[in-house]
Amino acid sequence: MQKIIWVALLLAFVLGSALTVIYVKHESRVLFSELRNVQKKQDQEIIAWGRLQLQNSTLATHSNVESHARKTLKMKLPRTVQLVRLP
Amino acid sequence: MSDTDSQFLFFGGRHYFVLFVLLFLLTGLIGRALYLQIVEKEFLASQGGQRQIRIIETPAYRGAILDRLGTPLAISTPVDSVWVNPSEILQNLPALKKVTQKLSINYSHSVDTLRRKANKEFVYLKRQIEPELASQVSDGIDGVYTQREYHRYYPAGEVVGHLVGFTDIDDKGQEGLELVYDNWLKAEPGARRIIRNRKGAVIEEINQVKAAQSGKDVYSSIDMRLQYIAYRSLARAIKYHAAKSGSAVLLDARTGEVLAMVNQPSYNPNQAKKRTSGQRRNRALTDVFEPGSTIKPFTLAAAIDGGLYSPESTIDTSPGWYMVSGHPIKDFRNYGVLDLASVLRKSSNVGASRIALSMKQEALWQSFNDYGFGKPPGVAFPGESSGYFRHFTEWQKLDHAVMGFGYGLSVSITQLARAYAMIANQGRHVDVSLIRKEPEPEIENKVERHVMSAKTAKIVLEMMEQVVGPKGTAQLAAIPGYRVGGKTGTAKKSSAGGYDKDNYLSVFAGVAPISDPRLVMAVIVDEPTQNGYYGGTVAAPVFQEVMSNALRILDIAPDEISSLQAQIADKEEGA
Repeated sequence: MQKIIWVALLLAFVLGSALTVIYVKHESRVLFSELRNVQKKQDQEIIAWGRLQLQNSTLATHSNVESHARKTLKMKLPRTVQLVRLP
Repeated sequence: MSDTDSQFLFFGGRHYFVLFVLLFLLTGLIGRALYLQIVEKEFLASQGGQRQIRIIETPAYRGAILDRLGTPLAISTPVDSVWVNPSEILQNLPALKKVTQKLSINYSHSVDTLRRKANKEFVYLKRQIEPELASQVSDGIDGVYTQREYHRYYPAGEVVGHLVGFTDIDDKGQEGLELVYDNWLKAEPGARRIIRNRKGAVIEEINQVKAAQSGKDVYSSIDMRLQYIAYRSLARAIKYHAAKSGSAVLLDARTGEVLAMVNQPSYNPNQAKKRTSGQRRNRALTDVFEPGSTIKPFTLAAAIDGGLYSPESTIDTSPGWYMVSGHPIKDFRNYGVLDLASVLRKSSNVGASRIALSMKQEALWQSFNDYGFGKPPGVAFPGESSGYFRHFTEWQKLDHAVMGFGYGLSVSITQLARAYAMIANQGRHVDVSLIRKEPEPEIENKVERHVMSAKTAKIVLEMMEQVVGPKGTAQLAAIPGYRVGGKTGTAKKSSAGGYDKDNYLSVFAGVAPISDPRLVMAVIVDEPTQNGYYGGTVAAPVFQEVMSNALRILDIAPDEISSLQAQIADKEEGA
């Protein structure tokens, strides 16, 4: 009788472990595909970051900023007589 | 029961026959299974693996080069190259037609090319295009693939071209910082072993064969704001004076960091094909010249530091010329008796050479050597020159005399700027750096290497202030509100067989603000042909424009407010 109980118990363990393997394998596939998606997203973000950096440095070229300040915004350097010294 | 027994016995032969056949089949199956599992296992597993397991490259990108504030000077952004397997794609010509349309390349031409290369497995259709377009093109079409590559962009273009340099198609540094720091910048692509399904999609990663290692960023010492101003100002001066070339270097006087380094002519590193070696040279580091009068502050510094002269000493320069070894040494006119400050202010060759001759050759050589003449700036830049400065044992008397006013030796503009930085830095030795330095930790009793005493440095600095003053040769270098010092130089260009009559080098090197020097700048304009050629009229205005902007941008407080107040008072009286 004791023997049968042991065998049944081990059988249950084997079955349980087999099912766990199936479950974990599935889980790993799901997680992996999620990882791939995130990596793809990261890749796209890196591409976008590079593009934005280039855009930024093109638009913010010093010559660009200067001509914009002078022409559009009509800014100019203060002459020395216009300077005020704060105590 | 007996009935069945008899039946069993009756059909006994058949029973054993069936049993035998079944057993035979079973043995066959087990045998086959054993054969596949044990004998053929490796072969089959490897075949399966070949169909599913791949090693793919993990892309890694080259580090960026940034200025000291983090503005990108060179960055790598991902691009894709589209490639095809000819034998696959040629079976699907309509798809190829679509692809070529999207890539805007000639369809019939590419079919011809692909037919010629039909036995190959890898043919580029188009290289380095936007990743978005590439994925549109390759998605869902068999035999069209993309490969990740990185394209190097130089957002600042020609403003900083000489310094940053460029890379070749394989992303290897070829010039400038790209070459000097190639090992630091370069990326090591990684490799992963993955499982693919039948459609080629990655379904599982087995392991990482090699980790991808992206390149590390390099923070250069350049400040792009100052670099741009220096570039614009120098370019304008070169054009206005119709000069051949020019360079300018702006240093942080305390740390020796290069805040700006510009050259004319320049080139755009984004356009690899359109550059000649003349444009590519970073003249500020590679080209040397005879510094002429800009060396005089160092003659005085060596003489004062050696204890031979004090600021009150006088030198008789009349009648404005004298002979050394049969060669005349001439001044512009007869200046009579001069004190040391006036020797510098009037830029007297007679005075400077007399001072040089009164020193021992060895002492003069040792001082100049300490100031860095004949020694490379040490920034490991390709083609960096150490100048030309002979050992004193090889000097003739004439060499000794003309050394005092900057002939018989040659320096690069960066070496000259470094030497001025040593005066500005209270006589301390200065190392030039193209890389941003971390602030040095405060150490008590730090050993400092002095090339001249702090007292000497201060005396020379104040003498240089007079050069920019109302009676000096460099009045165009003056900046309202700041005490500025410097020295002009107008050197005749040497060529084969002597000195050219009409070819000049206009040089100016200066320091600001005098009360607590922060910045040092040296400017050279080579062969100005229009609107003057003196260092004080050609090079000094470049210094003035760049330095005044740099002082403002770096928030360095004016140290001579009285002149500003005088101007304001004038204005108020007038109003």
